[in-house]
Amino acid sequence: MSMTATRMLARDWRGGELGVLVAALVLAVAVVSGISAFTTRLQTALAQESHRFLAADRVVRSGDEAPAAWLEEATQRSLSTAQVLTFPSMIYAGDEAMVLASVKAVSSTYPLRGELRYSEEPFGDVLVGLSGPAPGTVWLDSRLFPLLDVAIGDRVAVGEAEFTVVAAARTEPDQGGSFLGLGPRVLMHYDDIGATDVVQPGSRVEYRQLYAGDTVRVADFERWLQPQLVEGQRLLDVNEGQPGLGQALQRAESFLLLAGSLGVVLAGVAIALAARRFSERHNDYVAIMKSLGATSGDITRLYGRSLLLLGLVATVLGCSLGWALQATFFDLFGDQLPITPGPAGLRPYGIGAATALVCLLCFAWPPLQRLSQASPLRVLRRDMPLEQRRTLTDYAFGLAAVSGLMWWYSGDWKITLAVLSGLGATVLLGLGLSLTLLRGGRLVGMSAGSIWRLALAGLQRRGTANALQVVIFAMAIMLLLVLVLVRTSLIDAWQTQLPENTPNHFALNIAPEDVQDIEQLLRSEEVPGAPLYPMIRGRILSVNGEDLPQTDDREEGRRQREANLTWSDTLPADNQLLEGRWWEPSSDAAEVSLEIEFAERFGVVLGDRIGFQVGSEPFEATVTSIRQLDWQSFNPNFWLVFPPRLLAPYPATFMTSFYLQPEEKPFLNGFIRQFPTVTVVEMDVVVEQVRGIISQVSAAVELVLGVIMAAGALVLVAGVQASVDARMHESSILRALGARRRLVLGGLLIEFAAMGLFAGLLATVGAELSVYILQAQVMDMDYSPSPWVWPIGVGGGALLIAVLGVFSCRKVVSSPPLAVLREL
Amino acid sequence: MIKAENLQKRVPMVGSELEILKGITLEIKSGESVAIIGVSGSGKSTLLGLLAGLDEASGGRVVINGTDISALDEDQRALFRGQHVGFVFQSFQLLPALTALENVMLPLELQGQSDAQAQARTLLQRVGLGERVEHYPRQMSGGEQQRVAIARAFANSPTILFADEPTGNLDTTTGNHIIDLLFELNREQSTTLVLVTHDLSLAERCQHRFRLESGALVGGD
Repeated sequence: MSMTATRMLARDWRGGELGVLVAALVLAVAVVSGISAFTTRLQTALAQESHRFLAADRVVRSGDEAPAAWLEEATQRSLSTAQVLTFPSMIYAGDEAMVLASVKAVSSTYPLRGELRYSEEPFGDVLVGLSGPAPGTVWLDSRLFPLLDVAIGDRVAVGEAEFTVVAAARTEPDQGGSFLGLGPRVLMHYDDIGATDVVQPGSRVEYRQLYAGDTVRVADFERWLQPQLVEGQRLLDVNEGQPGLGQALQRAESFLLLAGSLGVVLAGVAIALAARRFSERHNDYVAIMKSLGATSGDITRLYGRSLLLLGLVATVLGCSLGWALQATFFDLFGDQLPITPGPAGLRPYGIGAATALVCLLCFAWPPLQRLSQASPLRVLRRDMPLEQRRTLTDYAFGLAAVSGLMWWYSGDWKITLAVLSGLGATVLLGLGLSLTLLRGGRLVGMSAGSIWRLALAGLQRRGTANALQVVIFAMAIMLLLVLVLVRTSLIDAWQTQLPENTPNHFALNIAPEDVQDIEQLLRSEEVPGAPLYPMIRGRILSVNGEDLPQTDDREEGRRQREANLTWSDTLPADNQLLEGRWWEPSSDAAEVSLEIEFAERFGVVLGDRIGFQVGSEPFEATVTSIRQLDWQSFNPNFWLVFPPRLLAPYPATFMTSFYLQPEEKPFLNGFIRQFPTVTVVEMDVVVEQVRGIISQVSAAVELVLGVIMAAGALVLVAGVQASVDARMHESSILRALGARRRLVLGGLLIEFAAMGLFAGLLATVGAELSVYILQAQVMDMDYSPSPWVWPIGVGGGALLIAVLGVFSCRKVVSSPPLAVLREL
Repeated sequence: MIKAENLQKRVPMVGSELEILKGITLEIKSGESVAIIGVSGSGKSTLLGLLAGLDEASGGRVVINGTDISALDEDQRALFRGQHVGFVFQSFQLLPALTALENVMLPLELQGQSDAQAQARTLLQRVGLGERVEHYPRQMSGGEQQRVAIARAFANSPTILFADEPTGNLDTTTGNHIIDLLFELNREQSTTLVLVTHDLSLAERCQHRFRLESGALVGGD
């Protein structure tokens, strides 16, 4: 057969037959490749941003210096490296002044990620440094200047070595939320450690080797390094650098992947609908060709080639459009993003092309392939029913394609399963319910007015087709609802995680006699703060009378260790009681409440006895409750809480946290001068960083939601279109018979609104199910039903479908009936 | 030559069967023009569909030029149609996405003929549409569309032409022109013409007539 597929497509295109199918395909490819490229670029950028919290991509933390060979290996693999050592030490200035400080020695390449900030004066304007202090010099925390009574240019001593003070240390990217080695910061050069002579075997020090570089190389290096780690050495990545942020990013990633997966499903449905309509319209075409001598082989080859060609064109167009979409976004908003988007690579476009191929094979090919079976008798009898029965194989094919694509795209079978469960529930419930209701509608409608009778008769006449259409609407609405629900709870969770007035400063080592003055000062200056918590340094000695091993190893595990103890007569505000009971306020029983992870790590359960030592006095307490903490809040949190009376005899210091706006920072100067022994930890930069990233992720989430909404709208339009021909035909006949505009439009409106109503109802049920599985299994969030989504799903569905339907059929009342009939 | 032997067509209904053709036997010689007449629902179009190999009979057989087309499968019948049969339909059955020229080229292309375009142009010229080759069906009147359909029907030089109510959608004057054209071409190419109609004056122009009533042949001359 010499007529080529190209010519048929060109002719079809001119005849306007291909519009919907091409649009659906192009949009599918564009949505998938666009979102994929967008999320890839954003993910790369966010991962980079979050690595700032580590000051590197990977970090090895250890109590002893890790082998220098590792640094050499990393350098050979084209990674950049840096070294950090943190230890507590007394700082001396002049003859009298001395303060316990947290010294951090850094090599010249530190930090590998993020920025080191300093100022030329204590509390002065913040500047960004490319590297830390040069050998022989130090940067001091602003607070150390008044405490040591020194100025820039003066000399201070750390151990045996003297240094010149050249700047005020402000923030380091990896200062994080760790309270270990507390005290005002002193930054010095790594090469000066030896001269100080303070680091001795057994000293409480923390070594860090930092590595950064190309993602793939870093991952390779990690694989090489992991088996060589020994006890006492830990490899850290971003999740451990900042647990709160790690989780936020993980959830965001899940969301974006979920959105992409839903995009794939929506695209598939749109293509299936368009292909079905295309093949229905081509039945006559095939019948004529067959009457003229075309064999079924000719037809199969013709449509096969056409589809392939169509796939190629749609892939090229779709990928270009997808590229343009994400590029436009970054062009428009790139300046507002404090992060630089990373490269997307070719994978997103590969995914786009594969999506086109799979969609064409699994959704478009089955109905087109069956065209070859079309009877040539249609040339004589145009009213012959179409032999377009969908077989179970078709549905199995489609289901396999959707699941496969989703799984491949999200790389997460839980996401796939959650969405499929919701879809499954919607489809099953939908077919059953809508068939029943559509049949029942007839009985009710018979006694109603003529518009209603018309509408309900219409609904019932095409019962099966309508049920299928309801299911398709329901699927699209459900997927959109899922996305809206997840997005809402995600953003809510983030907002509660870091609400306005999140404490961004911590005050520690508050002496009991200062407690009242500090409370009063915070109150009079109207600084919002948390209550003051007592803090007692204690040591855990035994469990159930059995002494724990004494090791200096910093690995977690069941061993003797130092811990911060506190007391409280009530359960702290953001804690959640998981097991056991809270004590009476006046209790003086030997009880202790444990944080769940601590209890698990220590291997203790409710009823176990733990032996402590505070100062020189040992005592035992029974575990009577297990709590869960919100580690992502910036409030003081304690692993071990005791009844007040139990700890009352022991010497305690107090801690609190409070919130300062940037312009209120000078408050600190007066505070430090008034309470020189109190340690203030400034977390405002960290809080701002986390907040900044979260707001970016939120913006990305909203944007992706918008794109998927457009894909959903396309499915709805394609779904409405699928039945427009039949409805237009009937309406034209009604018009020809003299039905008034109002009657025809009213009938259509009710018909579509009823379908939208069912669809919305089904969609809401399916969405709640999906969201339940998603939140509980994938996002690691608490599920709570969303009553507000019901009116939106049901009402929105009815309204949307009614408007779309009437809009698509508007021609039937604006054109002469004969013109409409002729065109069909 | 077309031979139908005891041709039957039944379609299954709920609980029973509807008998559309009740054993038709007839013979049409090469080069003859024949009209099949009868009222609506008498089974005319069904008979035409079976004779032309567009449909499968429930019983009996059709032999055309010595080939038992009832024994062929759909693809073999398609090849047979492409080589031997031309059609003219009541509703023209032009492909709306193709121009007049492309519509006429279609059967030639399906046959793999290399000079399809030139042949199609000549044919369109012959039916008086030489100036309108690039027009789409929707830009043409009913009479013009039917002329394109006739040009297409003769494109593969068929030995038999089947026409199903060729004037059914046209006014009398236009219909007469179309019929004149049909008979002219039929003579020129010495084609066998089988025509289904309920228009008796049109049937009169044929050499023979078969009358159908409720699926049975009740007369012929």
